[in-house]
Amino acid sequence: MSMFGFGGVQGPTSAQKIAAAEAELEMVTDMFNRLTNSCFKKCVPKEYRESDLNKGESVCLDRCVAKFFEVNVKVSEQMQSQAASRQGGAPGAGGMFGM
Amino acid sequence: MDGLTPSEQREFQSVVERRQMREFMQMYSNLVQRCFDDCVNDFTSKTMTTKEEGCISKCVEKWLKGSERMGQRFAEQNAAMMQSGGSLGGGASR
Repeated sequence: MSMFGFGGVQGPTSAQKIAAAEAELEMVTDMFNRLTNSCFKKCVPKEYRESDLNKGESVCLDRCVAKFFEVNVKVSEQMQSQAASRQGGAPGAGGMFGM
Repeated sequence: MDGLTPSEQREFQSVVERRQMREFMQMYSNLVQRCFDDCVNDFTSKTMTTKEEGCISKCVEKWLKGSERMGQRFAEQNAAMMQSGGSLGGGASR
């Protein structure tokens, strides 16, 4: 047991683990909300002619989601390589935002 | 979620439920605003026209269908990403 309750062999506390899980959830929900707003705006015309999604809108939404992910990866890669070259260190081990 | 004990999982679950409530209210007010902005533009009368009402109901239904569809695609992409070793809600690195 370490004197200050951290830095010992024991892992993160319960509160820390839950906070980390919540932060992850927050990130995913935030991304999802931004994605849905953005893709809906790009794919569905404001006239709302029918209450169903038509073929074109559906395909557009599918592609839009895929591309949103692609952009996420691209931006994250570029930011990581930028950061790595600035620090002159080894590039991150991959994964989004080096997490 | 990875690496949580059962009691931590219960605690996290309650956090998730609280957030879901908030998310739901937020989606509701966003939807009101979206459909209001897109459908209601005529203020020569203080009640909604039949055309506006029709637009509102199509707007709501379309959004719900669209967000469900995007949710499915999102889950698929997310799963694919976790498998390829990336992370987004997966914590594959831990």
